[in-house]
Amino acid sequence: MATFTERMGPVLLLWVAVCLSGSWAVDKGNFKTCDQSAFCKRQRAMKPGESPYRALLETMELTNTRLTLQLINDNNKVRLLLELYRLQGNITRVKINELKPLKPRYEVPDVLIREPPTEPLSLLSQDENGVVLSLGAESQRVIVSARPFRLDIVEGRDVLMSLNSRGLLGFEHLRMRKDTQADPEAENKEGTDPANPAETAKEEEEKVEDGMWEETFKTHTDSKPSGPSAVSLDFSLPGVEHVYGIPEHGDSLKLKTTDSGDPYRLYNLDVFQYELYNPMALYGSVPVMLSHNARRTMGIFWLNAAETWVDISSNTAGKTVFGKMLDYVQGSSETPQTDVRWISESGIIDVFLMLGPTPRDVFSQYASLTGTQAFPPLASLGYHQCRWNYNDQEDVRSVDAGFDEHDIPYDFIWLDIEHTDGKRYFTWDPHKFASPKEMLQGLQDKKRKMVAIVDPHIKVDTNYKIHNEIRSRGFYVKNKDGGDYEGWCWPGSAGYPDFTRPDMRAWWASQFAYDQYEGTMENLYTWNDMNEPSVFNGPEVTMHKDAMHESWEHRDVHNLYGLYVHRATAEGLIERSGGVERPFVLTRAFFAGSQRYGAVWTGDNAAEWDHLKISIPMCLSLGLVGISFCGADVGGFFKSPSTELLVRWYQTGAYQPFFRAHAHLDTPRREPWLFGPENTALIREVIRQRYTFLPYWYQLFYLAYQTGEPVMRPLWVEYPQDPATFALDDEFLLGRDLLVHPVTEEGARGVTAYLPGKHEVWFDIHTFQKHNGGQNLYIPVTMSSIPVFQRGGSIIPRKLRVRRSSTCMEHDPYTLYVALDNRRTAEGELYIDDGHTFNYEKKELMHRKFSFANGVLSSVDLEPNAQFTTKSWVERIIILGASKPSMVTLKTADGENQLEFDFDASMSVLTIRKPGMNAGADWTVTLQ
Amino acid sequence: MRFHIITAAFLWAAFVESRKIRGISSSYKRFYRERKSFLCIDGSKIIPFEQVNDDYCDCADGSDEPGTSACPRGRFYCTNLGFRPHYIPSSRVNDGICDCCDASDEYNSHARCQNTCWNLGQKERAYVEGQMKTLDEGLRLKQQLIEEGVLLWREKQAQLRELQRAAEDLQIKLEEHRKRKHEADRLKEQTLKALKAGDRDVRPESSSCGFRHQNSTVSHLFQLLDSNKDGSISLDEVKAKVVLVHDETRVLSEDEALTLLGGGHQMDLSKFQNTLWDVLTRGDGYKIKDAHSAPGGLMSEDPHLKAADRAAEWEAADLKKVEEAYETVNMEISDLQKKLEIDYGTDWEYLFLNGQCYKLKVYEYMYTLCPFNTVSQKSTAGTEVSLGLWGMWAGPAKNRYSQMVYENGEPCWQGGSRTTSVTLTCGTETGLRSVKEPSKCQYIMDFETPVACQPVLKQRGVHSEL
Repeated sequence: MATFTERMGPVLLLWVAVCLSGSWAVDKGNFKTCDQSAFCKRQRAMKPGESPYRALLETMELTNTRLTLQLINDNNKVRLLLELYRLQGNITRVKINELKPLKPRYEVPDVLIREPPTEPLSLLSQDENGVVLSLGAESQRVIVSARPFRLDIVEGRDVLMSLNSRGLLGFEHLRMRKDTQADPEAENKEGTDPANPAETAKEEEEKVEDGMWEETFKTHTDSKPSGPSAVSLDFSLPGVEHVYGIPEHGDSLKLKTTDSGDPYRLYNLDVFQYELYNPMALYGSVPVMLSHNARRTMGIFWLNAAETWVDISSNTAGKTVFGKMLDYVQGSSETPQTDVRWISESGIIDVFLMLGPTPRDVFSQYASLTGTQAFPPLASLGYHQCRWNYNDQEDVRSVDAGFDEHDIPYDFIWLDIEHTDGKRYFTWDPHKFASPKEMLQGLQDKKRKMVAIVDPHIKVDTNYKIHNEIRSRGFYVKNKDGGDYEGWCWPGSAGYPDFTRPDMRAWWASQFAYDQYEGTMENLYTWNDMNEPSVFNGPEVTMHKDAMHESWEHRDVHNLYGLYVHRATAEGLIERSGGVERPFVLTRAFFAGSQRYGAVWTGDNAAEWDHLKISIPMCLSLGLVGISFCGADVGGFFKSPSTELLVRWYQTGAYQPFFRAHAHLDTPRREPWLFGPENTALIREVIRQRYTFLPYWYQLFYLAYQTGEPVMRPLWVEYPQDPATFALDDEFLLGRDLLVHPVTEEGARGVTAYLPGKHEVWFDIHTFQKHNGGQNLYIPVTMSSIPVFQRGGSIIPRKLRVRRSSTCMEHDPYTLYVALDNRRTAEGELYIDDGHTFNYEKKELMHRKFSFANGVLSSVDLEPNAQFTTKSWVERIIILGASKPSMVTLKTADGENQLEFDFDASMSVLTIRKPGMNAGADWTVTLQ
Repeated sequence: MRFHIITAAFLWAAFVESRKIRGISSSYKRFYRERKSFLCIDGSKIIPFEQVNDDYCDCADGSDEPGTSACPRGRFYCTNLGFRPHYIPSSRVNDGICDCCDASDEYNSHARCQNTCWNLGQKERAYVEGQMKTLDEGLRLKQQLIEEGVLLWREKQAQLRELQRAAEDLQIKLEEHRKRKHEADRLKEQTLKALKAGDRDVRPESSSCGFRHQNSTVSHLFQLLDSNKDGSISLDEVKAKVVLVHDETRVLSEDEALTLLGGGHQMDLSKFQNTLWDVLTRGDGYKIKDAHSAPGGLMSEDPHLKAADRAAEWEAADLKKVEEAYETVNMEISDLQKKLEIDYGTDWEYLFLNGQCYKLKVYEYMYTLCPFNTVSQKSTAGTEVSLGLWGMWAGPAKNRYSQMVYENGEPCWQGGSRTTSVTLTCGTETGLRSVKEPSKCQYIMDFETPVACQPVLKQRGVHSEL
């Protein structure tokens, strides 16, 4: 989807003209820099080493699970309340709020899956300078220093992380506006001690700065009724040189230092034609950063939904004087260090320190807080064909037929905004889509599905049922004056339902019922676009910060809005099936926790080689913070790709989690068969490869759902001690076992892939050629090459009978690819269930483990309590790196029989012919 | 009766055949004779015959599994008795979707497929019959149109020749008239010169230069009009002295006099020289009453000069008329030539389309195709948008008259301009059948006309495997 089109109203046209007058790139002037965002400018102006905060140790209260302590700002005497919790799974939570705020400050709801379970804290020592607490059973302690206030988390002799070590804790307390003189008494009462004249003097210094009570950007004025309310805190990470995460940015995987420019910004925005390699905010925000070095991986989860900026510097700064109590733990002072500082416009400080130590530990720690990836329907892992727009039912029918004619599989065809009756979501264009059920049935007959877009902006039109109902129920977001907030979007003037309200979400969900959303049936799924929310005529193309969500300002909840839209929609799809069927919902905006509701894509990219390249770090960054179901528009949304770029993009996209081609309204058609027979064949081949790997993808998603481990992951996650993997942007792993180095250079004749692991071997999945790990391997490439390697030591089940759609392949037999490591062993798993319901929660599933050792391959049940039967059987076993056996024997409950086999000596590949056992059976195959 | 026996025999034969080797056509039977072993059709491998159709792919070319889904590149033969037999990819065997109308592809799946071949065959036959009828009728109409096209072509050619002849005639006339006008102009010049020479003889003091001569004439005339000698001509003075050339007796009206004075009530010498003097000396509208005595009227009143002047004017007007006629004829010629330069097919059968327009309403838009000229779109509310101007024939080499391209329509929002590709299909009537816009600014039209009917279609129809 695009932000602008010629079909919009006259106001927009003007906007469009302005946008188009420039080059093909984002108009940076439409979006704020830190300097243009008053709170960011104020907070960033703070100088390190001058923290006014002091811990009042005498106020400390320690219960079994919680430490509380007051902090005082010696400049203005405002007191803060610090809460510290030890959470299960090696997580420490630090919350800082005003002790007595004028009114409650926003605390983000609905992101944590539950109140995180705590573990006991105990006091180790205490004196007038600080307190030492033990963090659970491990040798971890937290040291609270009093003057200035500072927290250090220490394990053994190592400082893992320090808070306020640079003294950049900032907490703008809520206050009455002075110039209005509403209540001059209030200022005096507030937290100050009249007995101390020095303090009064200090307070006078606190002058009103520009932008505290009102801020204007371009033509928009933010009324800021609550005045300044920013919070910020710095974190020092000794020994850390690599930090990752805080998506979404069009930037490299390894985050850059921000000393010389703007901080990374987290503020969900609809950015028209975004540029790459900069810290500008994009459509989604996940305020989670991972740090990694060869010894430890950690994470910082800053739970705040307001506009947020993150500064990163990497130097040996932060060596502020440690307290006396720290002296004994001080190690080398020359270790590299990364300093991070988070700045948010409102809310409180609520930060989760996920202390690892392994990457997997951090994933599971984050998953324990915000949940894991929703387990998607199997079909959604197939190929998706999208375009803005497939014009009418006949168009859909002919594209669908095109796939059959060219023997290319696909599972979903998508309809963008033009399918609606005048951009009224939940409706169909009465002429172009006059009989949607007929169309859906046509797809159903081929076991295929459809996605139709439902955006959250609702056309203001009294003849539109959805609008009338939302208005009459008072469900719209309100403007600062109390009326329904209205903005411009696709339909013209539009209202924005208040998705932060549970009653609104329940109502929205009910609209997906088959009898409410006319013309729908079970093979229709949903796409939420524009849910940042996008407001064409709003500040920075989004909602005014002083709009109201009941008692909270939009400022407080902004980054959450998209998550709520996504959630309400996913719940609607679940409800319409009576809780039986898994939903599939794609969203553009997201926040921490969005992984629980479906898939995410990287928004409106462009048909450029750099955009193809950036799809890798963008999806890797999302995966690291829990959102595994990620993809980029294959081919690029804006502009028209060259044939070479399109083919390369298919080859890359086929090995990324969400695999959808999409194109802008103004671009020429680009269905896979429109570029001559050779290119059609190349695209067909790579889509087919995708389908052969669907069992593996599905198993990886099951794993992601269970553990929070990313499906698509950076190499360092599996090779955490190999610094050569720490900053790789052009290759990635799928699970542990597939290494992918897509060709992303124009005219490439070869790529150099780093094969990790000194003791590993890697097999080219196409040629079965074996390569040693721990080397940079030059691979010559042609247009048909997609460098993908299977790790020696792994077993990957595939389905080689590629059919029209994934559903058509349900009962097909498996081929097991057994890649032996240097010890001639291998392991793998197979997960099967019905592919589309929640019955797996009731253990209607099959989860098997394959292992190969000592010439014996066996299959055992990993879930003996689960129940599921499959018709699928094992048709072939291919052992890579094998030697020639004299005899191959299959043993099952039915007895023993000998199997035929074929051995390719040149590649050491043993192919065992048609063992034939059911995929759910216990069996062994012995090579002799 | 005989028909039934044949059908039954054929069905039985088909049954036996498919029981043995599923998924092959009779022409492939020879590769699958029951023996101990089977040679992959590409010759790459020999396998035991039991491994044919055993649901495991042994041959790289997929030939050992014609009846299962085991081979990625395999194909399955639908016999489809009663309808058209055809191959489907092996991947569609037992996938739960009925592909062969005889249901033979779903022999081991949940799909409950009905044998629909007979029905389909009926429909197809009816359809083909309809098509054949259309084709016959279309070809008949086409023949007519070809004949008409040839006539039209000849007519146009004749028209062109006629026009060219007319142009040639006009060319000759034009030259004549030019000559005559030249002559008349020369005569006028001479007369004028002679007159001027005579004038100089009468008043030699004013002959030193034309300007002074003119000046004095101007002032003479001015003085003549300026009865009260106050240095300016008034309304009354004009009315008293100036009359119409053609009606000397009538006194000028107030308005006429006012017009002659250039809208003012007074006129001094310098203004007079630039305005009224011109009018009076031209002598075709107004003159001075009793002009014989007026020295300024000398020239215009000279009968020789008057005659020469009139003759020159006459010739100029004549020449202009001829020139215009010549231009018109030439334009017609170039229009017609342009029109005739277009390729209207081998027998000029598409010629009749030029000059016609065909309309079709699709959703909120009215589309108009004027073949060989323009394509346009008009929304119910908005203005007309050009979707392209005639470009060229763009069909494949074998049948280049099957597609037209119209280019350079209204520019598009993001660069380029609108283009329309028109596909011509055989039908008994001529008209626009469908319009689509698969990508922005790229239109596809389906245009039906008898002239698109091809005899080759008929042959194909006859050989259709029914």
